[in-house]
Amino acid sequence: MLFHTWTFLIFFSIVYPVFLVVRNTRLRTPWLFLASYVFYGWWNPFYLLLIGYASAVDFVAVAFMERSQRKGLWLAVSIVNNIGILAFFKYGDFLVENLNAGLAAFHVGYAVNILDVTLPVGISFHVFQSLSYIIDYYGGKIEREKNLLRYMTFVSFFPQLVAGPIERARHLLPQLQGESRITSRNVTDGISLFVVGLFKKIVLADFLALYVDKVYADPTEFDAAALALATFAFAWQIYFDFSGYTDMARGIGSVMGFQLVLNFRNPYLATDLGDFWSRWHISLSSWFRDYVYVPLGGNRGGALQLYRNIFLTMIISGLWHGAAWNFVIWGALHAIGRMLTRELERTTFYRERVPRLLKQVFVFSFVTFAWIFFRATSVEHAWTIVTRIATASWTADPGFPLVALGLVASIWAYQFVYESPARKVLELAPVRIACVVGMMLCVALFASSGEQAFIYFQF
Amino acid sequence: MPRERIQSNELGQYLDPPSGVLFGSNAVRLGAVQWIVAAVILTTIYMGLPRVWQWIEPLEITPDHRIPYSLSEDYWLYERYAKTVLKNRDIIPVVGDSVIWGQYVRPGETLSHALNKQTGKTEFANLGVNGSHPVALSGLITYYGAAIADRKIILQYNPLWMSSKRRDLQITKATTFNHPQLVPQFYPRIPCYDATVSDRLSIAIARDFTFLSWTAHLRRTYFDNQSLASWAIENPYANPLGALTLRLPQPEDSAPSDPIPWAEKDARSQSFDWVAPENSLQWAFFKRSLSTLQSRGNRVFVILGPFNEHMLTDESRAIFADIHADMDAWLVQSHVDHLAPAVLPSGLYADASHPIAEGYVALATFLLESDSFRTFLDR
Repeated sequence: MLFHTWTFLIFFSIVYPVFLVVRNTRLRTPWLFLASYVFYGWWNPFYLLLIGYASAVDFVAVAFMERSQRKGLWLAVSIVNNIGILAFFKYGDFLVENLNAGLAAFHVGYAVNILDVTLPVGISFHVFQSLSYIIDYYGGKIEREKNLLRYMTFVSFFPQLVAGPIERARHLLPQLQGESRITSRNVTDGISLFVVGLFKKIVLADFLALYVDKVYADPTEFDAAALALATFAFAWQIYFDFSGYTDMARGIGSVMGFQLVLNFRNPYLATDLGDFWSRWHISLSSWFRDYVYVPLGGNRGGALQLYRNIFLTMIISGLWHGAAWNFVIWGALHAIGRMLTRELERTTFYRERVPRLLKQVFVFSFVTFAWIFFRATSVEHAWTIVTRIATASWTADPGFPLVALGLVASIWAYQFVYESPARKVLELAPVRIACVVGMMLCVALFASSGEQAFIYFQF
Repeated sequence: MPRERIQSNELGQYLDPPSGVLFGSNAVRLGAVQWIVAAVILTTIYMGLPRVWQWIEPLEITPDHRIPYSLSEDYWLYERYAKTVLKNRDIIPVVGDSVIWGQYVRPGETLSHALNKQTGKTEFANLGVNGSHPVALSGLITYYGAAIADRKIILQYNPLWMSSKRRDLQITKATTFNHPQLVPQFYPRIPCYDATVSDRLSIAIARDFTFLSWTAHLRRTYFDNQSLASWAIENPYANPLGALTLRLPQPEDSAPSDPIPWAEKDARSQSFDWVAPENSLQWAFFKRSLSTLQSRGNRVFVILGPFNEHMLTDESRAIFADIHADMDAWLVQSHVDHLAPAVLPSGLYADASHPIAEGYVALATFLLESDSFRTFLDR
């Protein structure tokens, strides 16, 4: 069930009124649980078994942890279970393929069968959400949730279940436990966020996808300009797609009185790679910071150790996004970019003399280049694109739609103004109303019967 | 500085999720009153623009006008066309599928044209829609046929739609058929219709949301029947506003299919797998159309056919005769004025149900010579 479909509208128009009635009764948790499981089961009812199992194991592990002196054991059980689920469903085929390649390299006449398991929608998100609960409990940062149904609701909370933002137990669980308060501001904010998300998805992301898909389907058919523009378009497509989803998720949460964390903050205005990751998929990067980077040692120790930790964190982040070597390279590129921009920022010249706009253009160009490895279906595919951009002719007509270019340029310019002293202009009521009216008109004009799934569902 | 803060900066995170929630849609954030203002503006645009468009985009009704073939699924245009052509209270719309629309003939050779010519008046208007089987026709009348209300109407029923389970939309295997936007999306269930719930909801909602029908009209008329995005991909440097030429395609002055008598193409006898009226979805929806029209104050005259019985095997013809008798009996019982045209000479049919030009002339003559039709016209 996608947010931008009539099916979801019907679903929500049933869930929401009932929620308003039961929100401060004992029925709130069962109702949210039921709604979340119906939402998730809409894709495939078998997914419910998996999420139910994963949630129950973590709930029980923490319960045992509370009573046991060997807390580390239960933490290990939970981590092994969660990583095992991910390994089987997400990384199984990747591991088998690499194992087979290794066996073949040593001329071993044996190959393991590919598992060919369907990847459950949003598995990486709910597994990470559940993991954060058990790790935080182990670290003494949160209390144990004693209500199994509430815990399962926390893991499966439908607005953010399939593509984030990845919530922490210490942020969302108290909202599920306490009294529900919904103000008119919550509702109007929620609708505002939802409209912005809808516009990003239907008008921008799905539009750009048409060009990106066409060019990336067979890069050998296109010259350098088309490939470069398709990569540029993908940079914006994935931003609009993913941030659009989280805007809608946060909007739905808001009208229900739940505040979900901010996940995007104009990432293509970043001035260095660290800044980029403080603006892009914030809930994931903070997750990696807290549960990977800091445990690895963070910035304690020398520069070498710091860079090792950044490198490992980014590689794991790459693998989180997809079980393929091109995602590993994507992660490694970001690690290199982070190190590079960090070193540049340490020089007075770069820090003080290089114009901000130039840094933004540099970071955007670097991030866009790295997206090639993210969007490509394999390393070879990515390499074909990179080499063709570098060597093929730039004179052929790329056929990139000017309407799309105009839309992207408008959004980019809007974001620049928003982060400048001229921001006050955008905050004028007539301007905001005009933006909303314009977005809703575009949504109605661009809407077509075919629906596109969100890119991040595959993670 | 706390350790975690320093570490955060190294990896670039600025926001510890639990510490605070930022709004994050840049400045696009409206309060309650602003939302009301935006809603009023949007409602005005959504409701007003399709109306204003009718003033901007000229609709020229030519003699013997029919909906252009390429716009057969432009229901917004159909509604507008019906409203325009039926402004004259004396006009009798002739409604039906491609037999009425005239698949094998030019606009000046259709049944409505032949009737006008033989009566010497411009009294009949071609409101047929290509491919509109009775299930779809019921939707067309219900959702886009309000202008037809409260007047005489000629409604055609083509028995061909009962000549197999597939044509009757009763096979369980998913299949494509004409005008899925006009069929019931949820109930009664069409067994061979397998659209997603979301698509069904989109269609159901679009019927009551004129703005969406209007945007579909723009897509069909000016953007090669593509979404704006798909069109922009194919026309990367074109200005979408420039594509809005405000020139509606005129009905083609040609027949979409060659008007060759069936016997000259494939003269083999055929045996159809007829669906009995009591089991037929198409017949049930035809009855529903009748009921809708009657409830809107229409006086309905039903033409049951024409149908090319020459191409049937003896056995199939016998079954058809029984089915025909059942339908005829039901219409008599329901006090519906109707006529089943006599079988035309074989050479006047282009296929199982479509006449060629001379066939329409013969059909019009037959109708105008019949007492029931004349009584219907005179009443």
